[in-house]
Amino acid sequence: MAVGSAGRWFLLPGLVFLFTIDLIPLLYSAWISFYNWWLLRPRDVRFVGLANYARLASDAEFTRAVVVTTLFTSGAVLVEFLAGLGLALLFAQPFRFLRPLRVLLLLPLFVVPVVGATMWRVIFHPEIGVLNYYLSVLGLGRPPWLSDPTLALVSITIVDAWRTIPFMFLVMYAGIETLPGELYEAASVDGASAWHRFRYITVPLLTYIMLLAVLIRAMDVFREFDIIFVLTGGGPGTATQTIQILNYRAFGLGHMGEANAIGMVTLILVTLMCWILLRAVLGRRGAPA
Amino acid sequence: MKPTRWQAALTALLLVPVLAWTLFPIYWIATASFKTELSLYARPPHWLFTPIADNYTRVLTNIPFFQYLKNSLVIAIGTTIGSLVLGTLAGYGFARFRFRLSEAVRFLVLVMRMAPRMVLVVPYYLMMQRLGLLDTYTGLLIAYVSFALPFSIWLLIGFFVDVPLEVEEAAMIDGCSPLGVLLRIVIPIAAPGLVVAAIFAFLVSWNEFLFALILSGVEAKTLPVVIAGLNTDAGPLYGEMSAAAVMVMLPNIVMTLALQRYLVRGLTLGAVKG
Amino acid sequence: MTRIEKIVWSVLLVFTVALAADAPGWAQSKTITLSMLAGFKEDVVRANLPEFEKKTGIKVVVDAAPFADLYKKQVLALSTGAGRYDVVFVDEPWVPPLSEFLLPLNERMKTLDVADFVPTTLASGAFQGQQYAMPVDCNVQILVYRKDLFEQKGLKPPATWDELLSAAKAFHDPAKEKYGIAITASSDIQTALYMLLAQWSYGAELVDASGRGGLNTPAGKKGGEVFLELLKVAPLNVRSYAFADVNKAVQLGQAAMAIQWASGAKPMEDKQRSSVAGKLGYVKVPKAVRQTPMRGVWTIGIPKNSANQDAAWQFVTWLSGKDFGQAAMKFPSSTSAIHSSRISVLKDPGTRSAVPYADTLYDSLQIAKERPRLREYADVQEHLRVTAGKLTAGELTLDAALKEIDAGTNRILGK
Repeated sequence: MAVGSAGRWFLLPGLVFLFTIDLIPLLYSAWISFYNWWLLRPRDVRFVGLANYARLASDAEFTRAVVVTTLFTSGAVLVEFLAGLGLALLFAQPFRFLRPLRVLLLLPLFVVPVVGATMWRVIFHPEIGVLNYYLSVLGLGRPPWLSDPTLALVSITIVDAWRTIPFMFLVMYAGIETLPGELYEAASVDGASAWHRFRYITVPLLTYIMLLAVLIRAMDVFREFDIIFVLTGGGPGTATQTIQILNYRAFGLGHMGEANAIGMVTLILVTLMCWILLRAVLGRRGAPA
Repeated sequence: MKPTRWQAALTALLLVPVLAWTLFPIYWIATASFKTELSLYARPPHWLFTPIADNYTRVLTNIPFFQYLKNSLVIAIGTTIGSLVLGTLAGYGFARFRFRLSEAVRFLVLVMRMAPRMVLVVPYYLMMQRLGLLDTYTGLLIAYVSFALPFSIWLLIGFFVDVPLEVEEAAMIDGCSPLGVLLRIVIPIAAPGLVVAAIFAFLVSWNEFLFALILSGVEAKTLPVVIAGLNTDAGPLYGEMSAAAVMVMLPNIVMTLALQRYLVRGLTLGAVKG
Repeated sequence: MTRIEKIVWSVLLVFTVALAADAPGWAQSKTITLSMLAGFKEDVVRANLPEFEKKTGIKVVVDAAPFADLYKKQVLALSTGAGRYDVVFVDEPWVPPLSEFLLPLNERMKTLDVADFVPTTLASGAFQGQQYAMPVDCNVQILVYRKDLFEQKGLKPPATWDELLSAAKAFHDPAKEKYGIAITASSDIQTALYMLLAQWSYGAELVDASGRGGLNTPAGKKGGEVFLELLKVAPLNVRSYAFADVNKAVQLGQAAMAIQWASGAKPMEDKQRSSVAGKLGYVKVPKAVRQTPMRGVWTIGIPKNSANQDAAWQFVTWLSGKDFGQAAMKFPSSTSAIHSSRISVLKDPGTRSAVPYADTLYDSLQIAKERPRLREYADVQEHLRVTAGKLTAGELTLDAALKEIDAGTNRILGK
């Protein structure tokens, strides 16, 4: 190792900061989840053990929310990953005209999430939205984007993809840009096809960055809130009611014990998901560094 | 291998749907900010129209927009600097230094990124209240650096491990301190990674809503809370919201334009190696 | 250390010091903090604040929060005793839950001209015989209809639900994008409130006199059926409609009628936002066995832990007073609505000519019905919202939904 024992001085500031600022509230939150604490009754806070968790386990609405969240997460992450990777490869080509276009591709990231979602709601509006106007001009009818249970889930995925494909793109594009160009030149000289260069140079060297992009997106989609809240509010019925929507409801009503229990379950599920992903991808190849 | 003309044409062709998909909603927001609400919903849709400035005037005169803009900028720049400094150091530490539990600690860093923020806001609130940091820049800054840091660390690890070890060793032999190696050798090579980390740290703070809503009030309120307020109990004020969103986008675009020249393949790699 | 390292550390040091200097400023005794609703009503208040500051020398700082989050933020601030607010702007259903943290105003109120408030609006700030908040912005459901279309067909504005349904059918022509009535049927809270309005007028109660759920009754079922009938003469995709979409359907001339909160009527009369400005008529909501327009008044109260209660009271007096009420009525923006609950303002000739629905607003307030005054009301309403959403989405039948609503209400109220 180049740095040797000096490493700890690199690690300490960040880690001490992070764990002080995050771990204390996290432990406190876990602690609250064992209590019956309603903000409106500040004098009536009772320890209830696992009761909050037991209620979630037996609540059909919560189980359904877990299913909806999982569906939404896997669909959205898959779409975003493939699109982001495709765009990163497209833009990594050595054409000068691509340079100035990169910033355009990033624009959706800069739109305040709630405004982006609100404007998509305008676009999706079944009767007077611009999307359905052109669809009906083309004779394709007027899909009920937000009021059909299946289509509503597709619609929120579309909006999430619109907003975060740029994230996937940027992370992977930056990763590709730091790959040593000589490797590709050498491979071309050896007559490797574009697919072979991608499969045997880009993918192995980019595994870590790709994995990181997927991990970050997966944990964020799992906890997505703004888009769903603005577009459907969890509806129609319970079709897009994710864990986060239930969490928001419990928190909004001031049921701290229940809200924190949902939060803890979310944390456990997300951690499990990421750990499995990490194992699945890195387990055999070994971690970088 | 030289790319062919044919390849360029295909690329350009693929760009059309990509850009249309990405930019149409932005175009719709940008034009909505200059439209009346009737025009926004007009059918056939208005692609050309007489722009009005009313939406901007209302946003700028009805709420102290520039005070909130200043708050947002200070906190976002602070978050960017804080998470870049801490993230670069820690990322480099993880990339070049192994200890017994380093895998576990690294995963724990990621777990912090997964924390359920919606419920953590209450413990944060109580903590900041205890520290007297409610409604201050510092309170939000601390929270946002902790949001941005795990991703910065993990991202930068990926970029730092790719830096050739021999280059660093050579510099060490020349008498560079470890920090000197990081600053003079590693950072220039891994510049694209730092740019991405900077952009996302900035965005974390720039777009964050919940903590800004709960922790700030009068003094430190940031723009996302103000904009969410335009989604009123009587429905969204589309024009005003769009106008605010456009003004909020501009600093981001400026920042990205300034940073994007570092997003270039192997900026210094060849030079260092040669 | 190298030079670069020194530079880095000194930059960090400077930044830390700069942040340390950013301590929360000590509030002067003559500054009060107002927690209020952002956007729609914030700008009217802000625009008139200099008037109050000039008059009293008290400076008011505003912490505005979005509608969806205001209650949450207030609960958190008040229940944890952070003591950040001197005045809070509260929607009437949240007065009972927050009453525990609010200062009773019965004594202070005696100095006011109480008779000038529309009596039902005064009740919106009261709970269990105590006054905790004063009404500032009165709001009630009204029926909006297209005068021009009704005249063409020679119809009178409907007074009963049956008349409403038959009129809606007469205007409903989806092929031409004309709809009988604009309403919501998404999982938005308005959906539940529309259904409740119909159920109320048939005599059902969300919470009955014995404190139990009372919608799973013949009257509740009749009201529910009427609500579902309305959806058949509403825009095709009404199942994704929320508050704003009702306004859109009216403003774009698609809907012949709408039941809407009076606060939503102002943009309907704005030529930039509405193609039917000036063509609208306003009447009270339809009746069945009784007429029960739903009340939704915004009020202001003073937290018990405020350190500036006297200054806060001066502000409460001013904001609920006649002068501000007059100014707000005339505020030149269609995106801002504060309708004073002062009789003298509502009946003022200037108001009546500036606000075409002023009389309907006033008349509806006289007979307005309030939602149950309960500490647990937020929970009851939230459960009602979710279940009504399941009903309109077809996840539950009407019978099952009503049963579920009552069961939830009873569970929440511990019955």
